[in-house]
Amino acid sequence: MRINFWYISSFIISIFVIIPILTVFSSFFESTSNYYQVLKDTFLMEYIFNSLILLVSVLIITFLIGTGSAYLVSFFNFPFSNFFKWALILSFAVPPYIYAYSLTAFFENYGTAYTILKNLFGEGNYNQSIPKFDGLLGAVLSISFSLYAYVYILARASFLYQSQNIIDLGKNLGLTKLKALYSIILPAARPAIVAGLSLVAMETLAEFGAVDFFSINTLTTGIYNSWIAFDDLAFANRLSFFLLLFIFAVFILENLSRKNAKYHFNTKAGFKQKEKIQLSGKKAFLAFSFCFFVFFLSFLFPLSQMMYWTIKFPENLFDLNALDLLANTLYLVTLSSLMLIIFGLISNYGNRVNKNKTLNFLSTLSISGYAIPGVILAVAFITFIAWFDNSLVKNLGFVSIKKVFIGSILGLVIVYFIRFYSLAYNGIKSGYEKINISVDESSYLLGYSKRKTFMNIHIPFLRNSLLFVGILVSLEIIRELPITLILRPFNFETFATTAYISASEDLLEAAAVPSLFLILIATFFIIVTSKYILRDNNE
Amino acid sequence: MNKNFFEVKNVDFNINSKTKVRDVNFSIENQGDVICLLGPSGIGKTTILRTIAGLEKIKKGSIILNGKTLSSKKINLEPEDRNISLAFQDNSLFPHYTVKKNILLGSEKNKEKKDKKISLDEIVELLDISKILSKYPHEISAGEAQRASLARSLIMQPDLLLLDEPLSNVDQSFKEEIQVRLKKILNKLKITTIIVTHDSYEAFYLGSKCGIILNQELKQFDDPYKVYHFPNSVEVVNFLNRGILIPAKVTGKNTLENWDLGTIEGNFIREYPEGSDVQLLLQPEDLEHDDTSNLKLEVVDRKFRGTNFIYTLKTPSNTLIPVFVHSHHIHQHEVDEKFGIKRPIHIDHIVCF
Repeated sequence: MRINFWYISSFIISIFVIIPILTVFSSFFESTSNYYQVLKDTFLMEYIFNSLILLVSVLIITFLIGTGSAYLVSFFNFPFSNFFKWALILSFAVPPYIYAYSLTAFFENYGTAYTILKNLFGEGNYNQSIPKFDGLLGAVLSISFSLYAYVYILARASFLYQSQNIIDLGKNLGLTKLKALYSIILPAARPAIVAGLSLVAMETLAEFGAVDFFSINTLTTGIYNSWIAFDDLAFANRLSFFLLLFIFAVFILENLSRKNAKYHFNTKAGFKQKEKIQLSGKKAFLAFSFCFFVFFLSFLFPLSQMMYWTIKFPENLFDLNALDLLANTLYLVTLSSLMLIIFGLISNYGNRVNKNKTLNFLSTLSISGYAIPGVILAVAFITFIAWFDNSLVKNLGFVSIKKVFIGSILGLVIVYFIRFYSLAYNGIKSGYEKINISVDESSYLLGYSKRKTFMNIHIPFLRNSLLFVGILVSLEIIRELPITLILRPFNFETFATTAYISASEDLLEAAAVPSLFLILIATFFIIVTSKYILRDNNE
Repeated sequence: MNKNFFEVKNVDFNINSKTKVRDVNFSIENQGDVICLLGPSGIGKTTILRTIAGLEKIKKGSIILNGKTLSSKKINLEPEDRNISLAFQDNSLFPHYTVKKNILLGSEKNKEKKDKKISLDEIVELLDISKILSKYPHEISAGEAQRASLARSLIMQPDLLLLDEPLSNVDQSFKEEIQVRLKKILNKLKITTIIVTHDSYEAFYLGSKCGIILNQELKQFDDPYKVYHFPNSVEVVNFLNRGILIPAKVTGKNTLENWDLGTIEGNFIREYPEGSDVQLLLQPEDLEHDDTSNLKLEVVDRKFRGTNFIYTLKTPSNTLIPVFVHSHHIHQHEVDEKFGIKRPIHIDHIVCF
């Protein structure tokens, strides 16, 4: 095999992304402080128990509202069904920690709910009768309403490709709508639903902001605390190892459960466009109510709560240096997305032209970075840099380079890169899969070199995919909290970190303004990309 | 020494480490010659083209164009450095460019060529694609895409043009016309061309030489006339579906004897000793119908083929023989009726195995 520029580049990019994963695994064999023993005897079981409860509850709720709303908008016509089709993905704009702030702000003693009741019915002791959504319940609700859209998008896409033929077949067999849903529609959409739930599972296990806000001890917060409070990197890594095992177990279970079943249909032959059923009267009202309820709770509620506070305490708006935060956020977003797109493209092309097993294996391994929670990645990065720096200083007598990577924009962007690399890589890959290999071959035969084929043929073709990937990555970075929190330079804040810091100082009103900005920017990005996220055909 | 413009010497053609066609030898004598490779689907014809284009490598033999080795065990010139154009069977137009832009990409490489022999307009007119120039590949039919792809390859004016089933998606009604136009363009531009097809009539019309690929081998490489009339193996006969083999005994310098048909006269294309037992190739046009003949065979089937009927006749020894009869023949013979064959039977080229 000939080693070329594309091979070497792809190889280096993959290795670069894999390093933190290897760091986490190797840390399992390192010695830790006494904290490990203390924790093992006391809180470790609580961490695991809480993580499990959180995971199972979130999965159940996201499954019910994600699949339920997707089923309604895919199979039925009812008032505003076309509006809900895309409105239901707006919940992505509200990260779980901001949802958590809204939930607390609304239901807390003398909170928004209290004010509403007071304005309606006058003074009274309402606090006792207002339910409290805090602790584990609060975390479950915050995460569920923020993440159900993963299940919604994938389930809807799968429902969309179900042929009218199988629905007709169900009718022909005499199945009721409910029976058809259980025995035909849901099983056929299973891989998509499970894929959505896997994403939810990973995000839930990795969730830091909301869980930390409600003071729930999970493996993720445990990792953060062992690093912040006990300065025990090795133990943080060891906890990460457990969490990773957890996440890989989810993957393996899902794969095993599929066995050899085939779920997709040949959409070319025998595919019949589905005819949506027109609902009217009570049924239409119920379908509308369900979707509106989900849309209201997931998006309108946190948005209006944050707006309400921003209007109520306008001084926070003026105190906040919004322009600086916007500049910082956009700076990070631009730098990271560019890096992700450029390297994601090169790596994809390297794999495409080389068809090499080693490279393929490395790429597959490198995209598992998304499964690793931000907290772990940040800690693993610091561990690696500390070890690397130490080796350089001790063995080669170099000057310490730690500061170049830790507490710097460079370090932050590198870890974003590792965290979201799979998103960029897979997004570009799905664009690449639409380019038949004979297009490349035609280009070579027209006298174009590999570089020219890449620049003149592939990049123009992938333009839309790249834009989509860029915005998707930007959306993730805007919402991202733990990596930014751990690795940002001194005095460098984003909307996410400002909101978090205010909230952790119990200044929820002050957290409202950056949260509102964050929601609005994210909403803008979602609206721009909604065409791609919800595309109705397989183009 | 006679120097050929293009040569394939002892090459094994492989795809995914599997050998598709072994030990292939053929050459194109002059620049501008057109040859065709014929064979059933999946036999490896496309692999041969891909290898010549540089998209697949070889481990044995060599491929030489105009005195320069393109491929051998040690040399493998990159596809972009060969100035060979391959028009794929399936649509390989760039999906994000219009048909016009796709075709013009082909002309970019030859911008520096001073002796340009064809313009975009000419090619567009010859291939009748003016209506689709501003369309995108997904907006045109498979046949139109094939013609656009052909236009892109032609406008490149490569040293060697490779066409993989170039007209397989073109409507039957339009196919013959395009064949005529294609032949005209290739003659005009003097582009050396290798065409792969499974349609023997297309190959016989377009190629000055034809290669027949069967059972992992290039069985015969010769003028279309010779391939048709003088097939060199039973496999080639079976592939071209040109008739049947019947047992016969050589009885003289120009005669054979068959148990059912009696004496058969003609010119042997190879010599056989008198008295030897052979398999004689009998083609549908070799026998003539004659109602007055005393050699009568039973009709077991009759197919109407427009200008001809093909009668299938059964001999006393139960051999089935095809015979062409012009469809304007005065009367038709029904199944189970007797059918007269003119005697003595005369065959221009006697092919035996």
